Amino acid sequence: MTKSASRTAVGILCAIAALAPAAALAHAADRGFVMLLPTGHYMVGGALAVLASFTALALIPPEPLDRLARWSARLLRLPVDGRVLTSTLSLVVLMLLIWCGLKGSRDPLSNPLPLVIWTVWWVGLTLLVGLFGNLWRWLDPWYGPARAVLAFAGRRHAPPLAVLPRRIGAAPAILVFLAFAWFELIHPAPDDPELLAVVVAAYWLFGFVGVLVFGHEAFTRQVECFSVFFAMISKLAMLRRGDDGALHFNLPGAKALDAASLGLSGTLFLLLALSTVSFDGLMRTFLWLGAIGVNPLEFPGRTVLIWPNTLGMMLAFATLAGAFLGCVWIGQRLAGRRGTLLETGAAAGALVWSIAPIALAYHFSHYLVSFVLYGQYALAAISDPLSNGANLFGTAGYHVLAGATTGAESAWVVWNLQAGAIIAAHVLAVLMAHVVAFRLHGDARRATVSQIPLALLMIGYTVLGLWLLSSPTGF
Amino acid sequence: MTEKRTSLILPKTTITRRGALKGLAAGAAIGLAPGYVRYAQAQSSAPIKIGFQAHRTGIGAAYGRWYERTTMAAAKAINDAGGINGRPIEIITEDDGTDPARGAEVVEKFARQHNVDVAYGTLFSHVVVGSAPAAGELKLPYYVVSEGYHVASGSLNRYVFQPGITDVRSQVRAVGPWIANNVGKKITLVFPDYAFGHDHRDYFPEKFKEAGGEVVGMVPIPPTESSFTRYFPQIPASTEVIYHVMVGPAVLTFVKELGEFYGTGGPKLFGFIDSLEAVDINSPGLEFLDGTYFWEGSPRYLQADASDAQKAYRAAVGIDDNGASVNDAKDVSTAAHMYGCWETLYVIKQAMEAAGYQGPQDRAKLVEATEALTDFAEGPEHPQGAKRFNGKTHQVYGSQYISQVSGGKLNVVHKTAIEDGLYDTDVDYTTKPL
Repeated sequence: MTKSASRTAVGILCAIAALAPAAALAHAADRGFVMLLPTGHYMVGGALAVLASFTALALIPPEPLDRLARWSARLLRLPVDGRVLTSTLSLVVLMLLIWCGLKGSRDPLSNPLPLVIWTVWWVGLTLLVGLFGNLWRWLDPWYGPARAVLAFAGRRHAPPLAVLPRRIGAAPAILVFLAFAWFELIHPAPDDPELLAVVVAAYWLFGFVGVLVFGHEAFTRQVECFSVFFAMISKLAMLRRGDDGALHFNLPGAKALDAASLGLSGTLFLLLALSTVSFDGLMRTFLWLGAIGVNPLEFPGRTVLIWPNTLGMMLAFATLAGAFLGCVWIGQRLAGRRGTLLETGAAAGALVWSIAPIALAYHFSHYLVSFVLYGQYALAAISDPLSNGANLFGTAGYHVLAGATTGAESAWVVWNLQAGAIIAAHVLAVLMAHVVAFRLHGDARRATVSQIPLALLMIGYTVLGLWLLSSPTGF
Repeated sequence: MTEKRTSLILPKTTITRRGALKGLAAGAAIGLAPGYVRYAQAQSSAPIKIGFQAHRTGIGAAYGRWYERTTMAAAKAINDAGGINGRPIEIITEDDGTDPARGAEVVEKFARQHNVDVAYGTLFSHVVVGSAPAAGELKLPYYVVSEGYHVASGSLNRYVFQPGITDVRSQVRAVGPWIANNVGKKITLVFPDYAFGHDHRDYFPEKFKEAGGEVVGMVPIPPTESSFTRYFPQIPASTEVIYHVMVGPAVLTFVKELGEFYGTGGPKLFGFIDSLEAVDINSPGLEFLDGTYFWEGSPRYLQADASDAQKAYRAAVGIDDNGASVNDAKDVSTAAHMYGCWETLYVIKQAMEAAGYQGPQDRAKLVEATEALTDFAEGPEHPQGAKRFNGKTHQVYGSQYISQVSGGKLNVVHKTAIEDGLYDTDVDYTTKPL
C-alpha cells in the first residue's frame, strides 16, 4: 500500500471507527484527582494574591524595591572560560545521542535521544537556566566547533562572511521557534527516535552553517532560537556574572530589570514562548477539543488535529501578543503618554521582561509530571543507549516508579506545586513590571496607573494558568 | 535495528535475562542456560520477530506501560521455556502515539523495514481500525488486544485476530443474567453518549431481559460533561440497579456526585472497571463504591482461590496481591485488560507451532492455523481462564468476572461461563481470500 493510499484509507476508517462499536479506555488518570480538589478556591486565591500585590505596590513607594532589585552579593571568582571545551563536549554528546536515535531502540521510552532532548534538555535545562543562569552559553554545540573551524581556516579574527541586518532583530528566531513549537506540539511523532535524530542533526547543521557565515554572536542573538530563549529565561536567574568577572547572587528577576529593552521582535519572541506552552495546555482540554468538534473521550490522535491545532497555536500567540501590547498601550495612555507606536514599543520591550517568570512557571507546572516520569525513563535509557543489554551507569534495570505521578496523594502534591509556581510567578511579574514602570516614568503614581491594565492581564493569566492545570483533558 | 532490551520496568530479578539475551545475540552461550537447549536443535536459531505496536505516548500511555510490561514478561517466559519452534522470540516495539494514522505507518514499517513475522498488541479501537487495512494489504498477521467488537463485527480483514481477550459485546451480554438474578431486576443505564456507551446500551439489554430484568431508564451523558448532578434526576425512582460505564478524567467526579446525590441509600451499582482501570479503588472520593459491583476482565486483586497459573502470571508480570507493581504500590496495573497480551503471545506461539511456521513465507499458513484453533485450557498460558476461539469471527470468548468492592478490595463473587458471552453471528473471515 502506498503511503498516500494508506493515509486515505486511514482517514476513511477513522471516520468509520467513530461510528463503529468501540472499546473506550480513556483513562481516569490523574487529572481526575485534581478535579476533586477545590481548584476553584485556588483560582480565586491566586487572583486575589496578584491583586493584593498590585494594590500593595500602589501604596508603598517603589524606591526601596528599586534598590532591592539592584542589590547583589559577590560570591566567587569564576575560573577560566571553558566554553570551547564544554561546547565541544556538548557536541560529542549530541552526536552520540543522534547515533542512538538512528541505531537504538525504536521505543521512544527506551531510546535516550527523545528522552534527553524533550525531558532532560528542553524541560530540565530550561528550569536550570531560569534558576542558575545561562548554562546554554556553555553547552551550545556550535561555539567550540565553529571556533576550531575558523581557527583552522585562519579566519578566527576575520569579520563574518555575511552580516545579518540589525533592523530585523530576532524576527528569524521567532520563525525558527515557531517551527520548533510546531514540531513539539503538533507534529504526530516528535518522539520518534529516528525522525528526531534527523531533525536534530539537520538543526545542528543549520546552526553550524549559520554561525560560520554570520558569526556566533549575531546568529545566536537573531536566528538560533534556543540561544535567544535561554538568554531571556536566564535573566530570571539568581546568579549572574558581574562586570568584575566574578559570580554574583541577586534576587530572582532582578537581572531582567537591568536588561535592555527587548525591541518588538524580542518582545514578540518572549510572548510566543509563553503562548506556545499555554496552548499546549489548552489543546488538551475538553473545552478546546469540544470547540474543534473532537469527542474528548475518544481522542483521535495527533495526525487528524494538525490543522486545527496549527491554527490554534497561531491564534494563541496572536491573542496573547494583542492583549499584552494592548495593555501596555492603554497603560501608557492612562499615565498621560501619547501612546505612539515607538513609545509603546519601547515600553512593551521593557515591560515584557515581566512575562519571563510566567513563561518559566508555566514551563515548570506544565511539564512537572512528565519530567518526573520520563526523567526516570531517561535515567534507565542512558545506561543502555543502544538497547543491547549494556549497563553503562548501573541504571539500565531501573524500575520506573510511575506511581510517583499517579493517585490522589501525588495529585495533591503536584497541584500545589503547580499552583504555587503559577501564583508566585505572577506576583513576581507584577513586582517586576512595577519597578520597570517606575524606571520608565520616574514617578510612583504614574507608574502605578500605567500598570492597571497589565495587572488585570496578570490576574486573568493566573486564573487561566490554574484553569489549564485543573480542567478535564482528553489526553 | 532490533530490540534486545527486555524491559526497563520488570522486577529486578529479571535483569539477568539481559545478559542471557545479549549472549544469544552474539551467538554465544546458547545452551548454557537450560531454557535455551532447544534453540540449538532448531533449524534456524534466528529469532521470531514480533512487532509490538505499543501506545507508548498519547492517550493510551498508561495502558501502554502495562501492556509493555506484560508483553516483556510473556516473551521472557516463552523464551525461558524454549521459544517458538525452538527459536527465541524478539519483541520489536514501535510507538504509534495512540494515533490511527501512525498505527498504519507502524504496521507498514513492521512489514517492510523490520520484516517482522507478525504484528501484535494494539489496544485502542480506533488504532486497530486504522491499522487493520495496512495489515491486510501487506498480508501481515495482526493480533490485537483491544476488547473492541470491531474484529468479530466482520468489518476488518482476514489477517486481523483477537485471540487473547473477549470483546465488549460478549462482556456485556455475559453479566446481564447475573445482575438480574442477584442485584436487581429494574436497571437504569448511565453511559457516555458515543460509540463506547452505545455498545453497552445496545448489547446489554437482550440477555438481561431474558433473565427477567427490565431496563427502566437510559441516561446518555454528553462526552464533554464534567459535572453530572443535573443528570441524576433522570434516573427513575423505581431503579434498583444503576449500570454505569463512565470513562475519562471526570469518572471520579461522577462517583463522588452520585454518592452526594444518593447519600447512604439509593439503588445498587454495577460498573465496568474500564472506568477505574489503573486507579486505586481506595482513593478519596470513591468511598461510595463500597459494596458495589464491577465487571473485571481478570481480577485485579489476588483471590483466595487463585490458580497456580494466575499466581505465576502475576509474579512474572510483577504485580502484587493488590494488582499494583511489586516495586511501586501506587502504580496500579490495568489488570482487567493486560492479561490479553500474555495470552495472545501464547496463542501466536500455539498457532506458529501448529503451522510449522518458519518465516514470513508461511504467513498464510499461520492465518489458517490460527483460524483452526478452538479451545484454550486454563493454565500457565491462559491464566485468566479457559477460552473458546471462533476461527470464523477471529474472536475469542471467555469467562467474565464480577467483583464486589468490600474491605477496600475487589472480591470476585461470580465467574460467568464461556457460553454466557456467546452470540449468534454469520461473520466468516475464512471465506475471504488470503
